[in-house]
Amino acid sequence: MKPKKISYMERRMSRQYLLLVLPGFIIFTIGLIVPLFMAVRYSFTDWDGMSAEKIFVGIQNYIDLFHDSEFRDAWWFTLKFTIGNTIIQNVVALLFAVALDSGIKAQKIYRTIFFIPCLISALVVGFVWLKMFSNVLPAINDFLGTSINFLLFGKKETVLSGLLIANNWQWIGYWMLIYLAGLQSVPAELYEAAKIDGAGPVKRFINVTIPMLAPAITICVVGITTGSLKVYDLLVSSTKGGPGRASTSMIYQTYTTAINGRKYGYGCAMSVTLVLVLLLVALIQVKGLKKREVQA
Amino acid sequence: MLGRKKKEDMASVQPYTKGTLAVQAVMTVAAVFFIAPLFIILNYSLKGKKELYLSSPLSLPESFNLENYVKAYKKLDLATTFTNTLVYTVVSVLILAILCGTTAWAIARCKRKFFKFCYVYFIVGILIPYQALFLPIYMIGYRMNMTNTRFGIIFMYVATGISFGVFLMNSFMSTVPLELEESARIDGCSVFKTYFKVVLPLLKPAMATLVIMQSFQIWNDYLLASLYVSKKQLKTLTVAIHSLFSAQSSDYTTAMAAIVISVLPIAVLFLSLQKYFIKGMTVGAVKG
Repeated sequence: MKPKKISYMERRMSRQYLLLVLPGFIIFTIGLIVPLFMAVRYSFTDWDGMSAEKIFVGIQNYIDLFHDSEFRDAWWFTLKFTIGNTIIQNVVALLFAVALDSGIKAQKIYRTIFFIPCLISALVVGFVWLKMFSNVLPAINDFLGTSINFLLFGKKETVLSGLLIANNWQWIGYWMLIYLAGLQSVPAELYEAAKIDGAGPVKRFINVTIPMLAPAITICVVGITTGSLKVYDLLVSSTKGGPGRASTSMIYQTYTTAINGRKYGYGCAMSVTLVLVLLLVALIQVKGLKKREVQA
Repeated sequence: MLGRKKKEDMASVQPYTKGTLAVQAVMTVAAVFFIAPLFIILNYSLKGKKELYLSSPLSLPESFNLENYVKAYKKLDLATTFTNTLVYTVVSVLILAILCGTTAWAIARCKRKFFKFCYVYFIVGILIPYQALFLPIYMIGYRMNMTNTRFGIIFMYVATGISFGVFLMNSFMSTVPLELEESARIDGCSVFKTYFKVVLPLLKPAMATLVIMQSFQIWNDYLLASLYVSKKQLKTLTVAIHSLFSAQSSDYTTAMAAIVISVLPIAVLFLSLQKYFIKGMTVGAVKG
């Protein structure tokens, strides 16, 4: 009699738990998982977004992508942007966090100043830096009598560094805060023990700080990479993918191909490649970084 | 934690050494670089049209005129766009707060296979940002007649925000003592009652974190809003600002005033609730 009663109770409870999960589950499925499958399905058609007919073309879209130089350029830009961001943002954010944690005065004021830019929409950040490069910084030339070229968005060769400056300005403070929280959770005893063992500041940083920061590093590296791979808003208001097509990111390219160029099927194939890359990168990074965490 | 406190106290009474002085100087230069664009925005937003062409961008405005703000108010159709953005943000975040709390709790407590699967299922949403799927997200919205409706955009903000929310709330669940829940159940509470009476009150700090993190994302979103709303009376602030940028690229004093208007609410929210914000960002970043 008794076990039966428990299982009845359990079943009732899990039914109630299910009711709690279902609404979110359904919304998430319709809003993100179904689109994911739609992207895969439509990527095998040549749909133009309007006609009722969607002709199945097999993997033709993917073969075309392989020969599409615009698609290759978009990936090349996105990769350069992502690698640049991941390196610069991680290193600078970590250095800033260490500097703020080193016992300087007014730590909180610095923290707030560095953080504020990330509260601003990327769309706005793009516009602000457009004006910074074209109008504000050249005024410094007049002021100092120098002739530094600040028009970074105007040339193919410099547009990437201009965008890196804008993006890093926006996000360094955000990742710095995560590193700072990580640093502050390192017990002071560990440092003292290392000191007693005769470790210098550099050795303490490499052997104590970095291993203790491993979870923070995982979050920052994965976050910055995925954040950079999806860059779009920043470009809309600043370079519009130019000059030429020098700063066209993957999403920007998908947008112009699919929505402006009415090639939905082809655009879906682009989306699928981006999703695959995102998943692959996340898997590799989490696996690689987690391994280090365990060893630490 | 205790050891940490001691270290901070020591730092505040320590006199400058050569090293800390240098660090302080370098960080001050960096801070100036970070704050300069903000200062430029504010500065421009107060300048007259004439000053824009005649004086240096670095000079202060001759007089405080709020003309640009009045112009930005009209050009942005601020009464409408501001209300729209506020409604989308508040409603989406409220729904997210309710759903993420219940979902994360059920996943944490029920040991059945389906719930374990749900956890992994939601994590997929963190690995694939919605921007990567913007095209099919637009297509499904179009098909289900959800574009150009308030319901549609709120639905999508909830759908795209839920995985982060569930992950965040899930990481707070260990702070809810199981004994409390069990005693509530012995008292005859149903699962729902246990959640709302016992668990939810304990989740308040987590909820605050969730609300802040999501509000600032939704408030600043451009791509989804630009895809889902084209009707004038449904437009959001960022979409209106974008058209202002294109229309006013030479007279950008108005655009700068618009920027100040759009950033202000979120900046005030952040400065008053900084603690929760930081907590939300650092979930999982701290060992132990």
